[in-house]
Amino acid sequence: MTVLKEAMMTEVATSKAPRRASPRQRRYRFALGFAAVLGGIIGGWMVADQPAGRDGVEAAFHGSLSAGFAIGASLFWAVGLAISMTIYHRAIDDHEERAWLWAGLAGWYAFIVPAPVWWVLNRADLAPPADTMLLFLFSMVVNAIVWMWLKFR
Amino acid sequence: MNNKLKVLRAMRNWSQAELADRLDVSRQAVNAIETGKYDPSLPLAFKLARLFHMPIEEIFDDGFEGSNDD
Repeated sequence: MTVLKEAMMTEVATSKAPRRASPRQRRYRFALGFAAVLGGIIGGWMVADQPAGRDGVEAAFHGSLSAGFAIGASLFWAVGLAISMTIYHRAIDDHEERAWLWAGLAGWYAFIVPAPVWWVLNRADLAPPADTMLLFLFSMVVNAIVWMWLKFR
Repeated sequence: MNNKLKVLRAMRNWSQAELADRLDVSRQAVNAIETGKYDPSLPLAFKLARLFHMPIEEIFDDGFEGSNDD
Protein backbone atom coordinates (compact mmCIF):
# COMPACT_ATOMS: atom_id res chain seq x y z
CA MET A 1 0.00 0.00 0.00
CA THR A 2 2.86 2.36 0.88
CA VAL A 3 4.37 1.78 -2.54
CA LEU A 4 1.03 2.58 -4.19
CA LYS A 5 0.69 5.78 -2.17
CA GLU A 6 4.18 6.76 -3.27
CA ALA A 7 3.19 6.12 -6.86
CA MET A 8 0.24 8.48 -6.57
CA MET A 9 2.33 11.13 -4.81
CA THR A 10 5.05 10.84 -7.42
CA GLU A 11 2.44 11.36 -10.11
CA VAL A 12 1.37 14.65 -8.50
CA ALA A 13 4.89 15.77 -7.68
CA THR A 14 6.53 15.21 -11.04
CA SER A 15 3.76 15.53 -13.58
CA LYS A 16 4.41 19.25 -14.06
CA ALA A 17 8.05 18.88 -15.08
CA PRO A 18 8.57 19.97 -18.70
CA ARG A 19 9.65 17.21 -21.09
CA ARG A 20 11.01 17.16 -24.59
CA ALA A 21 8.56 15.69 -27.04
CA SER A 22 9.66 12.50 -28.79
CA PRO A 23 9.59 12.33 -32.62
CA ARG A 24 6.37 10.31 -32.33
CA GLN A 25 4.77 13.02 -30.15
CA ARG A 26 5.90 15.72 -32.56
CA ARG A 27 4.37 13.84 -35.50
CA TYR A 28 1.17 13.39 -33.48
CA ARG A 29 0.90 17.10 -32.67
CA PHE A 30 1.70 18.04 -36.25
CA ALA A 31 -1.08 15.75 -37.57
CA LEU A 32 -3.65 17.26 -35.18
CA GLY A 33 -2.44 20.82 -35.84
CA PHE A 34 -2.49 20.26 -39.59
CA ALA A 35 -6.09 18.95 -39.43
CA ALA A 36 -7.14 21.91 -37.26
CA VAL A 37 -5.59 24.44 -39.66
CA LEU A 38 -7.26 22.67 -42.58
CA GLY A 39 -10.65 22.83 -40.84
CA GLY A 40 -10.09 26.50 -40.05
CA ILE A 41 -9.25 27.32 -43.67
CA ILE A 42 -12.32 25.47 -45.02
CA GLY A 43 -14.59 27.07 -42.38
CA GLY A 44 -13.19 30.56 -42.93
CA TRP A 45 -13.41 30.20 -46.70
CA MET A 46 -17.01 28.97 -46.43
CA VAL A 47 -18.00 32.01 -44.36
CA ALA A 48 -16.23 34.37 -46.78
CA ASP A 49 -17.95 32.65 -49.71
CA GLN A 50 -21.47 33.41 -48.39
CA PRO A 51 -23.49 36.37 -49.64
CA ALA A 52 -24.08 39.11 -47.05
CA GLY A 53 -27.12 38.68 -44.80
CA ARG A 54 -27.38 34.88 -44.96
CA ASP A 55 -27.84 33.36 -41.50
CA GLY A 56 -25.32 30.90 -40.01
CA VAL A 57 -27.46 27.74 -40.13
CA GLU A 58 -28.42 28.30 -43.76
CA ALA A 59 -24.80 29.07 -44.63
CA ALA A 60 -23.52 25.91 -42.94
CA PHE A 61 -26.16 23.39 -44.05
CA HIS A 62 -28.51 24.51 -46.81
CA GLY A 63 -27.36 27.56 -48.75
CA SER A 64 -25.88 27.33 -52.22
CA LEU A 65 -22.11 27.48 -52.58
CA SER A 66 -19.91 28.87 -55.33
CA ALA A 67 -18.28 26.36 -57.68
CA GLY A 68 -14.85 27.70 -56.72
CA PHE A 69 -15.38 27.05 -53.03
CA ALA A 70 -16.99 23.64 -53.62
CA ILE A 71 -14.07 22.41 -55.74
CA GLY A 72 -11.43 23.99 -53.49
CA ALA A 73 -12.95 22.71 -50.23
CA SER A 74 -13.41 19.23 -51.70
CA LEU A 75 -9.74 19.11 -52.69
CA PHE A 76 -8.65 20.48 -49.30
CA TRP A 77 -10.79 17.90 -47.52
CA ALA A 78 -9.78 14.88 -49.60
CA VAL A 79 -6.07 15.59 -49.93
CA GLY A 80 -5.60 17.28 -46.55
CA LEU A 81 -7.45 14.58 -44.65
CA ALA A 82 -5.48 11.84 -46.40
CA ILE A 83 -2.19 13.55 -45.46
CA SER A 84 -3.10 14.32 -41.85
CA MET A 85 -4.62 10.87 -41.22
CA THR A 86 -1.56 9.14 -42.67
CA ILE A 87 0.68 11.10 -40.30
CA TYR A 88 -1.76 10.53 -37.43
CA HIS A 89 -1.88 6.76 -37.87
CA ARG A 90 1.91 6.58 -38.05
CA ALA A 91 2.17 8.59 -34.82
CA ILE A 92 -0.43 7.13 -32.48
CA ASP A 93 0.42 4.54 -29.82
CA ASP A 94 -1.19 1.12 -29.25
CA HIS A 95 -3.78 2.45 -26.87
CA GLU A 96 -5.02 5.18 -29.19
CA GLU A 97 -4.96 2.85 -32.17
CA ARG A 98 -7.29 0.49 -30.34
CA ALA A 99 -9.55 3.42 -29.38
CA TRP A 100 -9.56 4.53 -33.02
CA LEU A 101 -10.40 1.06 -34.36
CA TRP A 102 -13.37 0.58 -32.00
CA ALA A 103 -14.53 4.17 -32.60
CA GLY A 104 -14.34 3.58 -36.35
CA LEU A 105 -16.38 0.41 -36.03
CA ALA A 106 -18.97 2.15 -33.87
CA GLY A 107 -19.17 4.99 -36.40
CA TRP A 108 -19.62 2.47 -39.19
CA TYR A 109 -22.51 0.78 -37.36
CA ALA A 110 -24.01 4.22 -36.71
CA PHE A 111 -24.17 4.57 -40.49
CA ILE A 112 -25.17 1.10 -41.72
CA VAL A 113 -28.01 0.68 -39.22
CA PRO A 114 -30.00 3.91 -39.84
CA ALA A 115 -29.19 4.46 -43.54
CA PRO A 116 -31.22 1.53 -45.03
CA VAL A 117 -33.99 2.05 -42.47
CA TRP A 118 -34.37 5.68 -43.52
CA TRP A 119 -34.19 4.72 -47.21
CA VAL A 120 -36.97 2.10 -47.08
CA LEU A 121 -39.15 4.31 -44.86
CA ASN A 122 -38.79 7.08 -47.45
CA ARG A 123 -39.76 4.72 -50.29
CA ALA A 124 -42.96 3.95 -48.38
CA ASP A 125 -43.59 7.69 -47.89
CA LEU A 126 -43.12 7.30 -44.14
CA ALA A 127 -40.04 9.56 -43.90
CA PRO A 128 -38.45 12.44 -45.84
CA PRO A 129 -35.62 11.58 -48.28
CA ALA A 130 -32.47 10.28 -46.57
CA ASP A 131 -30.08 13.12 -45.68
CA THR A 132 -26.52 11.96 -46.37
CA MET A 133 -24.89 14.72 -44.33
CA LEU A 134 -27.10 14.02 -41.32
CA LEU A 135 -26.07 10.35 -41.45
CA PHE A 136 -22.43 11.41 -41.85
CA LEU A 137 -22.64 13.75 -38.84
CA PHE A 138 -24.35 11.09 -36.71
CA SER A 139 -21.62 8.60 -37.61
CA MET A 140 -18.91 11.16 -36.76
CA VAL A 141 -20.51 12.02 -33.40
CA VAL A 142 -20.71 8.34 -32.42
CA ASN A 143 -17.09 7.90 -33.58
CA ALA A 144 -15.91 10.85 -31.48
CA ILE A 145 -17.79 9.76 -28.34
CA VAL A 146 -16.41 6.21 -28.45
CA TRP A 147 -12.89 7.45 -29.23
CA MET A 148 -12.89 9.89 -26.30
CA TRP A 149 -14.38 7.34 -23.93
CA LEU A 150 -11.75 4.71 -24.77
CA LYS A 151 -8.84 7.17 -24.71
CA PHE A 152 -9.67 9.28 -21.65
CA ARG A 153 -11.87 7.17 -19.33
CA MET B 1 -5.67 -8.55 -16.86
CA ASN B 2 -3.92 -7.76 -13.57
CA ASN B 3 -0.44 -6.27 -13.62
CA LYS B 4 2.26 -4.88 -11.33
CA LEU B 5 2.97 -1.80 -13.38
CA LYS B 6 1.95 0.71 -10.73
CA VAL B 7 4.14 -0.97 -8.11
CA LEU B 8 7.12 -1.30 -10.45
CA ARG B 9 6.75 2.35 -11.42
CA ALA B 10 6.57 3.42 -7.77
CA MET B 11 9.70 1.45 -6.93
CA ARG B 12 11.55 3.57 -9.47
CA ASN B 13 9.89 6.78 -8.33
CA TRP B 14 8.55 7.45 -11.84
CA SER B 15 5.37 9.34 -12.64
CA GLN B 16 2.96 8.00 -15.24
CA ALA B 17 4.21 10.68 -17.61
CA GLU B 18 7.83 9.63 -17.09
CA LEU B 19 7.01 5.99 -17.74
CA ALA B 20 5.02 7.03 -20.81
CA ASP B 21 8.05 8.95 -22.10
CA ARG B 22 10.30 5.93 -21.59
CA LEU B 23 7.86 3.74 -23.51
CA ASP B 24 7.09 6.48 -26.06
CA VAL B 25 3.34 6.16 -25.47
CA SER B 26 0.78 8.60 -24.09
CA ARG B 27 0.20 9.04 -20.35
CA GLN B 28 -3.37 7.86 -20.95
CA ALA B 29 -1.97 4.56 -22.26
CA VAL B 30 0.05 4.00 -19.06
CA ASN B 31 -2.95 4.89 -16.92
CA ALA B 32 -5.23 2.55 -18.89
CA ILE B 33 -2.77 -0.34 -18.50
CA GLU B 34 -2.31 0.30 -14.77
CA THR B 35 -6.05 0.40 -14.13
CA GLY B 36 -6.64 -2.75 -16.18
CA LYS B 37 -8.79 -0.98 -18.76
CA TYR B 38 -6.43 -1.85 -21.59
CA ASP B 39 -4.13 -4.80 -22.20
CA PRO B 40 -1.02 -3.73 -24.12
CA SER B 41 -0.03 -5.27 -27.44
CA LEU B 42 2.72 -7.89 -27.44
CA PRO B 43 5.40 -5.40 -28.69
CA LEU B 44 4.50 -2.97 -25.90
CA ALA B 45 4.48 -5.78 -23.31
CA PHE B 46 7.99 -6.76 -24.46
CA LYS B 47 9.06 -3.12 -24.22
CA LEU B 48 7.79 -3.04 -20.63
CA ALA B 49 9.57 -6.29 -19.83
CA ARG B 50 12.87 -4.91 -21.20
CA LEU B 51 12.43 -1.63 -19.33
CA PHE B 52 11.86 -3.37 -15.98
CA HIS B 53 14.28 -6.26 -16.71
CA MET B 54 11.57 -8.82 -15.96
CA PRO B 55 9.76 -11.55 -17.90
CA ILE B 56 6.35 -10.52 -19.22
CA GLU B 57 4.56 -13.08 -17.02
CA GLU B 58 6.03 -11.47 -13.90
CA ILE B 59 4.53 -8.12 -14.84
CA PHE B 60 1.17 -9.38 -16.14
CA ASP B 61 -1.09 -11.99 -14.57
CA ASP B 62 -3.88 -13.49 -16.66
CA GLY B 63 -5.23 -15.41 -13.68
CA PHE B 64 -4.37 -18.82 -15.15
CA GLU B 65 -3.50 -21.26 -12.36
CA GLY B 66 -3.36 -24.62 -14.17
CA SER B 67 -0.29 -26.35 -15.56
CA ASN B 68 1.10 -25.60 -19.01
CA ASP B 69 -0.26 -28.95 -20.22
CA ASP B 70 -3.89 -27.84 -19.63
